[in-house]
Amino acid sequence: MPADALSLTFAALADPTRRAILARLSRGETSVGELAAPFEITAPAITKHLKMLERAGLISRSRQAQWRPCRLEARPLREVADFLEQYRQFWEQSLDRLDDYLQALQAKEKEDESSHGADG
Amino acid sequence: MNLATEQTGSANEIVLSRVFAAPRELVWQAMTDPEHVVHWWGPNGFTTTIKRMDFRVGGVWKHVMHGPDGTDYPNSSVFREIVAPERVVYSHGGGKKGGPGAHFVATWTFEAVDARTTRLTLRMVFDTPADRDVVVKEYGAIEGGKQTLQRLADYLPGMAT
Repeated sequence: MPADALSLTFAALADPTRRAILARLSRGETSVGELAAPFEITAPAITKHLKMLERAGLISRSRQAQWRPCRLEARPLREVADFLEQYRQFWEQSLDRLDDYLQALQAKEKEDESSHGADG
Repeated sequence: MNLATEQTGSANEIVLSRVFAAPRELVWQAMTDPEHVVHWWGPNGFTTTIKRMDFRVGGVWKHVMHGPDGTDYPNSSVFREIVAPERVVYSHGGGKKGGPGAHFVATWTFEAVDARTTRLTLRMVFDTPADRDVVVKEYGAIEGGKQTLQRLADYLPGMAT
């Protein structure tokens, strides 16, 4: 995926209405009217959201049927997931190291305390 | 204690949570004092040079991660919110210019489970390009349009064995 495409996908995902639309489409394709039903927003606003999702490649709209059903396209989501996975791994490994470091710090504290005790 | 990290979160965010067998104050220090951070930051095999870690709201945090193969990965962030010893919020201004969504806002939450146990929760939300522009403008945070987080991102999977 080109760099710009990933940015487009993030931008498209950064809105709760659009995420709700994607969640609905994960259960199967449907019409624009049905997609709009749960939201208290105008038809043009829904159309705008759909255009943004379409530009990011997250949905496609059939050109065959008269009612042009919307369908979820999973590929960009998987690419986002892969991208995020790399950050998750960064943190997993950093936190492992932090864990070890915290144990070492506390062991040292204890040692310092007991050597003070011996001094006193 | 090395409890497994739990992961949740929606499509454009990462949420990780982990419990440490250490008092909250100590975990806070280890994560916010550069003298400590340098000892654990980064994946296995990496070392880190902290250029600057001005730990106050609006303060800049710049560090370079050195990969095992000698490749350097500069990073630049700005602290947005600090509530000791409970919460840190920072924005990462990274990513190559015009590059993928390497800009994110990270929130660390420290919770005392008991006197010797701390739950740390990390949340990273990847923002839109528009938000990234705001950060660049406000803080000049992206010194390196040459920032190489994406290279890091490309590189990391190969490290996890």
